[in-house]
Amino acid sequence: MTKSFTILLFGIFTVIIASAQQTVVKGSVIDGATMVPIPNVTVTIEETLQTVQTDAEGKFSFTSNVPLGEQILKIEKSGYITKRFPIIVNEGQTLDISDMMLDINVADSVDLYTITLSDDELNDDTSGGADNISGLLQSSQDIFQRTAAFEFSSSFFSVRGLSSENGTVLINGIEMNKFYSGRPQWSNWGGMNDVVRNQELASNLTPSQYTFGGALGSSDINTRASTYKKGGRMTYSSSDRSYTNRVIGSYATGLMKGGWAISAAAGKRWGEEGFQDATFYDSNSFFASVEKKMNDRHSVNLTTIYSPNRRGKSSPNTQEVYDLKGITYNEYWGYQNGEKRNSRVKDVNEPIFILNHDWDLNKKTTLNTNIAYQFGKTGNSRLDYPGGTNPSGAYYQRLPSYALADKNGPDYATAYQLEQEFLKDGQIDWNRIYDANITNNNAGETAAYVLYEDRNDDSQITANTILNYSMTDNITFNGSVNYTYLTSKNFAEIIDLLGSNGALNVDAFDAVQYDLKNPNRIVGEGDKFRYHYNLYARLLSAFAQAQFNYKKVDFFAALSIANTTYQREGLYQHEAYTDNSYGKGDQLSFTGLGVKGGITYKITGKHVLDFNAAYLTKAPSLRNTYSNSRENHNTVKNITEEKIISADASYIFRSSIVKAKLTGYYTKIKDANEISFYYADGLSSFEISENQTSAFVQEILQGVDKTHFGSELGLEAQLTPTIKLKGAASVGQFFYGNNPDVYLTSSSFTNPNGIDYGQANLKNYKLATGPQTAYSIGFEYRDPEFWWFGATANFFDHTYIDVSPLIRTRNFYLDADGLPFNDYDPEVARKLLKQEKFDNYMVVNLVGGKSWKIDTYFVGFFASVSNILDVIHKTGGFEQGRNANYRALKEDASHNIPVFGAKYWYGRGTTYFLNVYVRF
Amino acid sequence: MIKINKGFAFLISIAFSIAIGSCVQDDDFSVPEGLGIEENKGLETLLSSDAVEISMVDLKAKYTSNNNGPVFIDTDIYIKGYVSSSDKNGNFFKELFLQNAAENPSAGIKIILNQVETHNQYNFGREVFIKLKGLYLGEERVGNGVVTIGGSTKTNQFGTTVERLTKNQRAQNMFRSANTLNLVPLKLNLSQINSTHIGIYTELSGVEFVNNLEGKRYFDPAQDFDTLRLMQSCTGSIGYSNFNLETSSFADFKDHLLPTGNGTVKGVLTRTFDGSKLVIGLNAISDISMTDSRCSPVSINDFSIVLNEDFESMPTNKVISRNGWTSYAEEGTLNWKIAITTDTGNPGPGNKIAVMKAYNSGTPVNIAWLITPPINLDTLDKAYANFISSNSAEDGSELALMISSNWNGNVNQVTSATWTVLPGTIVSDDVFYQDWVDSGLIDLSSYSGTIYIAFKYIGGDNSGNTNPINGTIDGTFEIDNFKILDRN
Repeated sequence: MTKSFTILLFGIFTVIIASAQQTVVKGSVIDGATMVPIPNVTVTIEETLQTVQTDAEGKFSFTSNVPLGEQILKIEKSGYITKRFPIIVNEGQTLDISDMMLDINVADSVDLYTITLSDDELNDDTSGGADNISGLLQSSQDIFQRTAAFEFSSSFFSVRGLSSENGTVLINGIEMNKFYSGRPQWSNWGGMNDVVRNQELASNLTPSQYTFGGALGSSDINTRASTYKKGGRMTYSSSDRSYTNRVIGSYATGLMKGGWAISAAAGKRWGEEGFQDATFYDSNSFFASVEKKMNDRHSVNLTTIYSPNRRGKSSPNTQEVYDLKGITYNEYWGYQNGEKRNSRVKDVNEPIFILNHDWDLNKKTTLNTNIAYQFGKTGNSRLDYPGGTNPSGAYYQRLPSYALADKNGPDYATAYQLEQEFLKDGQIDWNRIYDANITNNNAGETAAYVLYEDRNDDSQITANTILNYSMTDNITFNGSVNYTYLTSKNFAEIIDLLGSNGALNVDAFDAVQYDLKNPNRIVGEGDKFRYHYNLYARLLSAFAQAQFNYKKVDFFAALSIANTTYQREGLYQHEAYTDNSYGKGDQLSFTGLGVKGGITYKITGKHVLDFNAAYLTKAPSLRNTYSNSRENHNTVKNITEEKIISADASYIFRSSIVKAKLTGYYTKIKDANEISFYYADGLSSFEISENQTSAFVQEILQGVDKTHFGSELGLEAQLTPTIKLKGAASVGQFFYGNNPDVYLTSSSFTNPNGIDYGQANLKNYKLATGPQTAYSIGFEYRDPEFWWFGATANFFDHTYIDVSPLIRTRNFYLDADGLPFNDYDPEVARKLLKQEKFDNYMVVNLVGGKSWKIDTYFVGFFASVSNILDVIHKTGGFEQGRNANYRALKEDASHNIPVFGAKYWYGRGTTYFLNVYVRF
Repeated sequence: MIKINKGFAFLISIAFSIAIGSCVQDDDFSVPEGLGIEENKGLETLLSSDAVEISMVDLKAKYTSNNNGPVFIDTDIYIKGYVSSSDKNGNFFKELFLQNAAENPSAGIKIILNQVETHNQYNFGREVFIKLKGLYLGEERVGNGVVTIGGSTKTNQFGTTVERLTKNQRAQNMFRSANTLNLVPLKLNLSQINSTHIGIYTELSGVEFVNNLEGKRYFDPAQDFDTLRLMQSCTGSIGYSNFNLETSSFADFKDHLLPTGNGTVKGVLTRTFDGSKLVIGLNAISDISMTDSRCSPVSINDFSIVLNEDFESMPTNKVISRNGWTSYAEEGTLNWKIAITTDTGNPGPGNKIAVMKAYNSGTPVNIAWLITPPINLDTLDKAYANFISSNSAEDGSELALMISSNWNGNVNQVTSATWTVLPGTIVSDDVFYQDWVDSGLIDLSSYSGTIYIAFKYIGGDNSGNTNPINGTIDGTFEIDNFKILDRN
């Protein structure tokens, strides 16, 4: 084994020189262990950056513009060790390099990180306000992007400060981003790392042959059965991060006689508790892909992916709560019959079916036609308390700060009592909840508490066809047309009456009927209540692209056009919006246009320059279109397409030891919307019913401009065949570029159009997109004896809190009569409104492993320890919208511990991940 | 194919291991076992201990005045009561009222506790025991006249008040039994209501909101906390008798329109926040039913006035003896006299009134009778008595309204005659001293022949004397405008 490894490193292979007029480099790639051809291997001539993919038989060829002389051929595929082969190309000759061997990456580091992140924070809107893009980047070979994906993402770092709706994720050419958020739902294919590893990334503004992509690019996951290496694999993992156990088994036949190929995988991830208290995890994963190669030209593939996932969520907390209960505290649970019961469970259950037809029309043209259907449910449970008190142990009135902020001066005795109670218990009292419901039963009253699920049952059909036409050796055309139709059923459903006989379908807060057509309805388990509406979304889009590849220069241009329509259909008539909630609302139509282009100039093989620019407009996501879809048809006022301008420039350096890339970028987003929901205190307006100053509101921030610019650096140096140094840096500035308009709507307002608060003075406030500065430095040691280890130190800075727009409007300094507060002091106000910047921190991660080859089996393990120094750090947070004016905020800030202080997410302390696998 | 079979066998083994794999318990929770066991234990411990049950009346008597501040209970005593209020609809906030019986209650008491939505625990009609040791008895606002159980005290420039029970105190001092009883509302006429009824679930019938409230809502948005809506009744009085309904700004029915008909109101009797007025508060909007047609009050013109004594013809500061009236000091020397009132209320300053007080009498017991001239009921169709009363220095003296049909008019034989209590409203201690209270129409139809009506004052000034009653009970009673009316 050692011998073959060494031989392969030095690249001994058969060279056949055939006589031909054209200069051709061709060959094939096989698995070094099984000798089976490997498809979808990326082969690159480094000088010109020409790339091709191997076909199903593992073959490839370069036929045009092949540079002459000494060249380096790079062959790479995720899961294998990348190899670079020196070759000599002679003019007019064909260089045939058959059976180049790729060895499986014994270190399996790709898998390691993919598991720990993509399973975990990745798919999750629960453990951080920011979402995570590492799923998009994990297949990248670029050192910066790999570092961003594997080292930075647990700190909610976002590349270029852009969130994942700016990246498009495809499975076999079908876009998986959701209409609702614009983001991919990673957990739909979670827990199946073995089978979603074939990914083709077009990062940032670079061209993809499947789609136009967003400002962060696109990634296509290929699950065609014939692309999987023949063999099987079983993995067991243990961790204390989100799940405690994981088992995955997978098997692929490779392309068999008769043109069939089958790949299947099953997995389970489970655990009673992750790092945060009561965050249970329960997920199964199933995958099956069957391909039939009818003949040389036609191939059909059916893929089914089903990954139901249930997990307990954890809460963001105020500093006061963390100080008392530590960073694993979670307010969402309590003991019931001796078990920890989490009231907030996320349940995603959305199987995917994809049928692909690949048709090689001729040698130059392929047509790939796909149909996909996805349906299922997403549920997020929570407790409703129409006749009870807020059940959370960390409810602000149960915390010491509440007594200390007593309007008659600090009440130390009560504060002490509250503190003792919170330290002793501080969780949901399920027994009291059941007792209340049973008491109400006996009194003939409806439920004081119910557990319900906010449901989002989507069914979506997508059909598209993607053309790839290599007009000449230098010119390639890509094009696609796409049709998507979504029916999204949205409702709340009671999942547990908690001992009650029934709940009343009326808003207990203001006694408003949720469903005027069935007033005062008593609902039970499995019944819908609170809200019920459908959203319909349709997308028609087309994309065209031309790529030109020459010796010194490559360039491309791409165009896209899309029409998106949205419509809401209310199934409940809401009493506060009788003529604007029931039946179908107006159809909205948006036109998205995209144009982008780029040029790569190869000064020499060592020095390359790359420039890209794009302008695109796109429909806002459903979430940012309907301002209060649960209650009415209202959309964001003056709604329009979001505009994105983006450009970047890179310098790439490659020597035999050092690879480096330095990039500068600038992205401007215009006309974005942000909608949020919360309970606001201290509102000033005569338009709130009964002259009150507090209400449950929808805050609509409209016409938001955001600016993102900065630079990225990635650097790796293969110092010796065994030691590699890695470094990456991202220094950016991401901030609001204007003062967008804010208005609030609420069923408590007398004006159904809401209250306009004018501009929010947000310009130059930083965006809460994770650390805006991040550095990483590390090394890897790979011993020829198949053991390895590595370490990285990651430093993060310039992480900012998510600011509340409302307190930065005129509402902040105006009293209820519309005149400024008498005691308004701009100097104090400036201090109060200063954006909180979190402390910088350093996270050190260790990883190591070993593998053995026993007969035809590979056996291996690896272990990683994250944040080994157990550095306590904040990864994100947001200001609560409850102190909406100067007086309220000043009053609250004057206390040592604010009652409505910001809520934070903390990163995990030291955690481990252990993985054992066997492969054959 | 061997490899494939091995592969599928492998997959099957995986599937199997998943099937038997650890199951995460995350849903399908059943109703918790042993709900309420702890509370039952607490109650059993209380009842089996040496603690003694005390009546609400006796408990309330422990708090006599704010001058002494709230009373700390350091003995093992407890009370039992039935929850008469409900915060389900937001009209009560962090407070509970208990009454001492489910039917015909004679007393109620207030408990303040740091808990909202108490109704889903201390539901209406629930039997509740309160272990009093360690709690305080006092008022929530100085001098508001509502005796309240609290968990601690607070002192400011106005005096010392009781504060809410904490969550812990509630768990350790308040115990529910399994019983929830059906409370029968205590039926009262508006003129019968007095402060002993505070905390009692009461039914007022024949009431309606006053005329100028038509189109108004329970809560007036111009007010901050509570709105008083004046009701009137035609029953048992000449003209309207009045009473206030109080509604909180947090009541979820606050925006309902007031009904315009006549009917019944059921609710808890209490006082306004400052204690100035007795009011009734609703537990639920369904406790109000006013669908009958509005009533017409009887007017004085519907009667012929048989006797009308305003005391204006009698000499000031003399014992009353004119116009057929009799004054008799049964104990002590002080007797009913004529005085000139300074009260701003009816009958107005400068008018003469009948007054009795034991102030500075120097005798432990003063009993004095004021008796009307003889009234021959046989000559009348349907006779009623009516008067107004007021007080001063409201501290515990009593005034009883009595009737006799066998007294012979001889002052020496007052006590040997048969006197029975006549139902009629007499001012209670907590009424503001300048206010006058109408007696209501006192029906005399069950009597015949010649009768006498008497006001019997019982008081005393036993400063320095502990017998017969602790403390000084020398409060003043004032009477005026005594009428005998005959319905035409």
